[in-house]
Amino acid sequence: MSGIIDSYIPVAIFLVMALIMPPMTMFIVKQLSPRSKAANKYTTYESGSVPTGTARIQFNVEYYLYAIAFVIFDVEVLFLYPWTTVFKGHGITSIALIEMFAFIFILLFGYIYLWKKGALTWVK
Amino acid sequence: MAIEIPEFIIPLLPWIRGVVGLSLVGVIFVGAMGAVWLERKLSADIQSRMGPCRVGKYGLLQLVADAIKLFTKEDLRPLNADRLLFNNATIFMMGSVFLMLVAIPVGAVFINGVEYPLAVTQMDISVLYIEAMSALTIFGIFMVAYGSNNKYSLLGAFRNFARMVGYEVPLGITVVSVAIMSGSLNIVDISRSQGMLWNIFLQPLGCFVFFVSLMADMGRLPFDQNESEEELIAGWITEYCGMRFGLGFFAEYIHMILGSFLVALLFLGGWNVPGFVANNPVLGLIAPTAFLLIKVVFVLMVIIGLRWAVPRFRIDQVVDLSWKKLFPLSLLNLVWAVGLGLYLYPGA
Repeated sequence: MSGIIDSYIPVAIFLVMALIMPPMTMFIVKQLSPRSKAANKYTTYESGSVPTGTARIQFNVEYYLYAIAFVIFDVEVLFLYPWTTVFKGHGITSIALIEMFAFIFILLFGYIYLWKKGALTWVK
Repeated sequence: MAIEIPEFIIPLLPWIRGVVGLSLVGVIFVGAMGAVWLERKLSADIQSRMGPCRVGKYGLLQLVADAIKLFTKEDLRPLNADRLLFNNATIFMMGSVFLMLVAIPVGAVFINGVEYPLAVTQMDISVLYIEAMSALTIFGIFMVAYGSNNKYSLLGAFRNFARMVGYEVPLGITVVSVAIMSGSLNIVDISRSQGMLWNIFLQPLGCFVFFVSLMADMGRLPFDQNESEEELIAGWITEYCGMRFGLGFFAEYIHMILGSFLVALLFLGGWNVPGFVANNPVLGLIAPTAFLLIKVVFVLMVIIGLRWAVPRFRIDQVVDLSWKKLFPLSLLNLVWAVGLGLYLYPGA
């Protein structure tokens, strides 16, 4: 175990494996599977009727609001991670604790604001 | 004392670990087949059915037959599908579980009282890394759903997206509160620090939040709104058939197994059992790994059993559960963990 890079070499090996394995499987399938041509086979499924238009449509904004809320709080969680490693045994427990709770407290205001504004309530 | 390693091998060691570790991929595929079989048998038992019983003894060869079928099915792609997204989505799904697998210790051996975790690699931030890789699945799912240009799939993709973003946050916060107790983000250290007292007893609330969030993260029922067979005709995989579907399906089951490993390692003490000291050479080689695997199978059976016990939630219920209930609960658990940490390790 020398250095951080060493612990990521197996990750690189697995990444290469993940990159070649699915295309390889699909190549084998291509050799084994039968093929037939029929125009109707290549339409998208829409409960049996002929599909109208494409699926590239404007969509409910609801989903994007959650995404915006997610970005804020996920970044908050990321900032919590380094704090866990210095929580004990580094002599800065109390100062780190106060700082981190101040940080969470400020973000809680954002959370309460979102809740009060109704951004976390699903529009029927 | 530790094992002596010749000087010249040391720089090659990570490469050897990586290449030998690739055998884990094979093992995990067999494990996933076992999990599929277990799920079919267990669900049959719950519903008073037989389950697979024709192919092989106890239907054990059913999965082999299924694999042969998938390999010989035609690879269909709708004409108006996005080729690039549709073809390469499996790479993301498989890559996600493979890259999770690298960092998860699958057991440990004790040789002369020294502990060697059986992990392909150990890094300082493995919990964060595993969580990040686990979240990669959503890209694969979104690529399939958006790429197949089907309205059902699109609905499934957006539901999946709304669900995942809600549950990543409580998941992250509970992991932080677990990491506090051991002062490390290395999953091996976290598991090791639970030698006497498992985290489930220290943070029962955290375990509950983590488990629910993990279920949602893996897309298991009651959180499979992206699939919803009844309303969305399998949602994101409506157009995905043959072996492509097979790969996605396998990725999902491997994800489930690795999720069970996470629960066992973070909350159920990993390979530790209170009172067990590995001083017997043979027992030290087998017992810790066996303990871990027993815990994993137990968690797996709970996950499978829940699927057949709880009906699927509506999407608005799912989103409410994450943002309005689990998120405050996870913060509460964080405060509890900090208090407990200060109480257990005063003056640290």
